[in-house]
Amino acid sequence: MNIRLATFFVSAILLAAFVAPSAIAADLSDVGFVDQAELANLPPFVAANRQLAAYKQALDQQFNSAIKGASTDADKQRVSMQFQQQYSDKQREIVGPLFQRANVAIGQVMATRNLSVVVDKRIVIFGGQDITKDVETLFMSNQAIQPPTATPGPSEIGYVDQTVLDGLPKVKAANDQMQQFASTERALYAPKLAAAKSDAERKQIYQDFNKALADKQEQLLNPLVEQTKNATAAAAQKRNVLLVVDRADVIYGGTDITADVQNELTK
Amino acid sequence: MSKMSSPSKRARVAAFTLAILAGCGPNVHSSSVRGAGYVRVDEVIKHHPLYSQLSQLDDAIAAIQLQAAAPHVPLSAAQIAQQTKELTREMQDAQARAQKIIAQKQQDYARREQQAVAAALAAAGVPGAGQYAAQQMSATSAQQAQAAAQAAGQDFVAYQQSVMASDNAAASSIARQLQTQAAEKYRAKAEQLQQSETDLSLRLTQQDAAQSLAIKTRMSNLALDEATRKQLEGQLAALDAKEQSQLSAQRKSDAATLAAYRTQLDNETNAALREQISSIQSQTAAKINERRNEVTAQLRNLGPPALPSDLSPGVKDKIAQIQKQFQGQFQADAQKTVDEFNATQADLNRQFAALHGADVGATGAAAKELDALQKRRDDLYKEIVDQIQREASRIAKDQGFSIVFSGVDAAAGGYDMTGEVTKDVESLHE
Repeated sequence: MNIRLATFFVSAILLAAFVAPSAIAADLSDVGFVDQAELANLPPFVAANRQLAAYKQALDQQFNSAIKGASTDADKQRVSMQFQQQYSDKQREIVGPLFQRANVAIGQVMATRNLSVVVDKRIVIFGGQDITKDVETLFMSNQAIQPPTATPGPSEIGYVDQTVLDGLPKVKAANDQMQQFASTERALYAPKLAAAKSDAERKQIYQDFNKALADKQEQLLNPLVEQTKNATAAAAQKRNVLLVVDRADVIYGGTDITADVQNELTK
Repeated sequence: MSKMSSPSKRARVAAFTLAILAGCGPNVHSSSVRGAGYVRVDEVIKHHPLYSQLSQLDDAIAAIQLQAAAPHVPLSAAQIAQQTKELTREMQDAQARAQKIIAQKQQDYARREQQAVAAALAAAGVPGAGQYAAQQMSATSAQQAQAAAQAAGQDFVAYQQSVMASDNAAASSIARQLQTQAAEKYRAKAEQLQQSETDLSLRLTQQDAAQSLAIKTRMSNLALDEATRKQLEGQLAALDAKEQSQLSAQRKSDAATLAAYRTQLDNETNAALREQISSIQSQTAAKINERRNEVTAQLRNLGPPALPSDLSPGVKDKIAQIQKQFQGQFQADAQKTVDEFNATQADLNRQFAALHGADVGATGAAAKELDALQKRRDDLYKEIVDQIQREASRIAKDQGFSIVFSGVDAAAGGYDMTGEVTKDVESLHE
């Protein structure tokens, strides 16, 4: 009996220690998500995308003619950029107002539900508040949508803009070097692969190629990836952020810690 | 009681206690977790039983892409002409196929539309509806319109084929000319280098002639002792070796120059060829577009037979609705055929470009295989990820999480569920 009591006592202590009151905190409940793929299927978006596709088709024909007239690489680049700009302008003109209305609708629903961040559905596996239907209803209504009066409160979900981090000199240099290496290796292995006479030979060549790339990646990029991850975690801790996702997955709100990570990485 | 105090029982109790604690899982509601979990899905995928299949598909895709990156050996004019002919035939077949399918669909939808209109007229009790129906079903005018549309379509295809054939012939002729020019330039360079090697050989012989003659004169002395004779023979051999060495160095250098010149000529020929082909192709496209516009304008004038003029607004609306409905259905259906044709045409165009030296990646059968593999890979990846997400959701629910993310860049808190989800996914297939 004593043993049983003692066991129970020890278990209770361990259990209590495991879920100590000091460790209990309110769960995150202010995270919402939107199914952007579903929003893209709303009739105004479908019509706009169709219009944009028709424009692109016409523009592609013009581009093909124009690029044939470009003799140097610089000319080709100039023509490409010019057409890219034209397309972006049209995209802004056609889809821009719709995006803006959708964004304001998301902000409005978010304010109503007291959310601190809205992310894309594809990164939420479980839980969170699905606000897609509310956003759709507001977006499709005839009424003008008022932008929320206050900015969202601080969020424990942070984000980093990977494109900004990719622009850091050391990251850019490593990526460029890796690309250059991959390109050289491709030029080296592709003719070997084309000349291979059996499946076994082809497999071996392909494995060698993959290994060369993997080794270089291990040497060149993996330390940087690890460094970035640690810098991001450190920055998150300083800003009281629990989890950090990519900027591209955040639709509204959230805590931007990109500058903090940049600082950590350039220390 | 005494049993309980035995060491083995104590161990069992301790194990039981630990098991209970372990069964409780993480402290989901602690201040560092706050009900938030995350799964590194890319990591779990590696432990999924179907991962090896996914890897195989990835490897197969990458191998095709790698093979497509191989620089192409410049083709001869005859090879280009032959392959161009084959591609042209494929393009013509694809066009004819698409035209036939669309014409068939057009007839089918028109017939169904006419039946629906006739039925609507009959239902509305329009006088002479039966006669109209008969007219619609078998009217000479409808047949004529259909025949005219078909003839215009065939005429357009024939025109398109003739323009493409003549332009391809022009392209092949240009290719031949450029390659002949390149071959002549190469031959001239080779002759020039060969001449300079002959000159060098002559120069070296003349340069050493006096010394060589002196040695040979001394060697012709019959009273020469054996040792001196051998020494003189050595000197003569050294002179020869020196000449041969210089000559061979020159030949090696010339061979490298010639190889570099060959590459330069190939590049120049391909660039010139590409430019000429591009110009021809844009002219071809312009001619075909012009004719297409003419044919479309002609076809626009060929409408269905007129409806009776005294129809009530309600019946007119009904008929307009039927026409709109069938027109919409036909357009959507025809668009599928057009999309399929466009995909085939795009691939054939890439093959044309590749034929003329452009780096366009995988084409033809390789491109088709690549597409099929990519689709299989995407489907399999989705299947794997869906299963991982289902398992993660179940665990999250059991353990009381409020939210679980995938694709987290870094974490200063929250709970990493990757290990548990991995075990779960693995155990599902044991």
